[in-house]
Amino acid sequence: MTAPATTPQTESKQPTLIDMLRNIITSQEGVLFIIMVIAVLFLATRTDKFLTVDNLLNQGRLLTEVGLVAVPMTFIIITGGIDLSVGSIFGLTAIVLGIAWQDMGMALPVAIVFAILVGTFAGFMNGWFIVKVGVPPLIMTLATLALYRGLAQGLSEGASVRGYPDWFYELGQGEFLGVPSQLWLLLIAVIIAGILLSRTTLGRTLYAIGNNEVAARFSGLQVNRYLLFIYTFSGFMSALAGYIFVSRVSTTRSDMGTGLELDVIAAVVLGGSSIFGGTGSIPGTIIGVVLIQLLKNGLSLTGVTGDATIVVIGSVLIFAILVNTFIQGRKAA
Amino acid sequence: MAETILELNDIHKRFPGVHALRGVQFDMVPGEVHALLGENGAGKSTLIKIISGVHKPDEGVMRLNGQPVRFNNPREAQQQGIATIYQELGLYPQLTVAENIFMGHAPKTAFGPFQRIDWQEMSRRAQELLAELNIYDLDVDQQIGKLNVGNRQRVEIAKALSLDARILIMDEPTAALTESDVERLFGIVRLLRERGVAIIYISHRLQEVFELADRVTVLRDGQYVDTQPIADVTEQSLITMMVGRTIDNLFPKKEPKIGEVVLEVRNLVREPHTRDVSFQVRSGEIVGMAGLVGSGRSETAQVIFGVYPAQSGDVFIDGKKTHIKHPAQAVEQGIAYVPEDRGTQGLVREMSIRENTSMAVLRNIAQGTFIKRRKEVEMARDAINQLGIRAYSVNQVANKLSGGNQQKVVVSKWLASEPRVLIIDEPTRGIDVGAKSEIHRLMSELAVEHGIAILMISSELPEILGMSDRVLVMRQGRIVGEFSREEANQEVVGTAMMSDEVHELPEGVE
Repeated sequence: MTAPATTPQTESKQPTLIDMLRNIITSQEGVLFIIMVIAVLFLATRTDKFLTVDNLLNQGRLLTEVGLVAVPMTFIIITGGIDLSVGSIFGLTAIVLGIAWQDMGMALPVAIVFAILVGTFAGFMNGWFIVKVGVPPLIMTLATLALYRGLAQGLSEGASVRGYPDWFYELGQGEFLGVPSQLWLLLIAVIIAGILLSRTTLGRTLYAIGNNEVAARFSGLQVNRYLLFIYTFSGFMSALAGYIFVSRVSTTRSDMGTGLELDVIAAVVLGGSSIFGGTGSIPGTIIGVVLIQLLKNGLSLTGVTGDATIVVIGSVLIFAILVNTFIQGRKAA
Repeated sequence: MAETILELNDIHKRFPGVHALRGVQFDMVPGEVHALLGENGAGKSTLIKIISGVHKPDEGVMRLNGQPVRFNNPREAQQQGIATIYQELGLYPQLTVAENIFMGHAPKTAFGPFQRIDWQEMSRRAQELLAELNIYDLDVDQQIGKLNVGNRQRVEIAKALSLDARILIMDEPTAALTESDVERLFGIVRLLRERGVAIIYISHRLQEVFELADRVTVLRDGQYVDTQPIADVTEQSLITMMVGRTIDNLFPKKEPKIGEVVLEVRNLVREPHTRDVSFQVRSGEIVGMAGLVGSGRSETAQVIFGVYPAQSGDVFIDGKKTHIKHPAQAVEQGIAYVPEDRGTQGLVREMSIRENTSMAVLRNIAQGTFIKRRKEVEMARDAINQLGIRAYSVNQVANKLSGGNQQKVVVSKWLASEPRVLIIDEPTRGIDVGAKSEIHRLMSELAVEHGIAILMISSELPEILGMSDRVLVMRQGRIVGEFSREEANQEVVGTAMMSDEVHELPEGVE
């Protein structure tokens, strides 16, 4: 177009295949994906233990918990909120599961359901205070970060629970069709969440809230209902991840999931979600989760120490965000 | 005439996809108020951004006192004596009047190698500066955040003078001011003109232009139209120059077909802004709601719409009592509300026309929870065609549209909900003349052809008088006057808005 004042043109010209390809590559997710490919190729030249099917599948097993929690976190960050209590809900669920089974005498399947309900309720409490009382999400979930962790520690009295029956470990340690069992769960969660976010009224409402909550309310969108849902959903997914973690590591301790929130938020933000809300996607988040896990694994396989690994991951985070800011900025100009 | 202080010739500026300025010329002499007019998107903002150093021109020369200049940033322009007072005020609310005036160039005293701010000197000079503007009622130690908009603006002008501005750019300075603040502002502008300051004045209010300006330059679609002494133009000729066609009627009102009562409000209360409000709006009727800023009109509309639920009182639609606690319920009842503040309440500006248009009816165009994309695109396309929204695609981000087109997007969102009642709050605020008359025509059509009951809140009396079938006047949370179209005129409505005397109680008030 030459001037904005010509006759209204409702149809832009049909994009060519090359245009579409360029759009995909220069999108937030595309750029990140390319960075990931480069990182993988680089790590593969350093050690032959890295790029093997076995190792990659095992990494898939390890990243499932972060991935599951990152899904609702993406929703929440898109609305401009945050949930810092996910690690504590994760730990609380683990403890409740162990205690309900061992000390309260519940049958294990009942204890699993009970523990996940407790975690879900913990998330609901976050949402309720945020929506009904108007506590800012950062403050509310910072408070419950401490509260839920404290509960977990009080309940466990420092003791750990172990000795679960064999079937219990199937989800965390078993395989289905040659792929770690829990990875299937993550896959399903990611597909459903991706569709919800990009195709449904839920997704549209979340983006609207993140960009302009007032206008969303003034348009008759049920802002409170959706906010309550996503914080509750976050509680549920953290609980589910907690259960999978117990199943994977065969034991229950009260400090499980400490610092999980930071790994999750890092992955989501790396995946292109703006911490101010309004942008973000599930594919981006998943690439973020995978990239961080592969870097951790690849670096440790090449013999880099733990401390140095953190430094590298931090640098990659900053680098990826810089590159993306630069590219998206140029596209907008 | 005195010597030219500023001269721009054949200025071109291109942004990706837009040729914003196409060979514009402009000149200023000292001691002149030069009005810059044009519709939104005509290039006024781009031109003043070039003058104030925010943008660099792609082609063309700018001369200051005869010397060619080229500013790399706003600071360089400031140092050359060009100051800008923007629509969004650029002051620090936590700091005092004096601190704001001297931000960045505070008087200092040296103490060995250290410098410290000389607070006493700063206060004294701030007082002097304000006194030069005949301002004696401002405490220089007052925090800016505690001042009203009019006073903040006076501080900003003082700040510009502290930088020794020879050219002052005022972009819509009266947009947010009350009547008395506008008068004081005009006083200051005249004072500055006498002192030889050249003032570039941008406003949508033509009255002000006639009251203040010496010359006027009109831009249209990025092109220079003409510069004329104010004495040689009329309101009509200016509008024609701005729009490029003759607008014969700013208020295209059709013969109304008034039917049954659709909206009835009875004894609605929500303290402190809505105190026992009762009125009716009939099908096909446009009811204008006049009142001063703060009289409770928007707040009452928001109570009806469920943003802030009522404490007591009832709202009836088609004679049936409603229980609205949330905007979603209002939408279900067929109420639509086009809010006053387009940017924060009406639009999600970061989202596309398509996404905004469908926002109020998202559930209706979804199958289960899945949004039917094709249907949504169709709806947005219809809106663009029906309302004449100037956009190149349904996926264009709302932020990139002009004010008038943004307003049309908000209206289209609510038309999509097929409302029985349309509450439209300040329908044409900040919109240029051409789009104004289009919005008015649309309202008229909606009432007459679709039988929608329209409640129009407006602070512009000509709009109230031109469009309404009936006029309600609100003051201090109450309805204090009701006039038929025939009875209503500037004087009676204006008096009802201001005075303490209650005129004629509307029906339904015990």
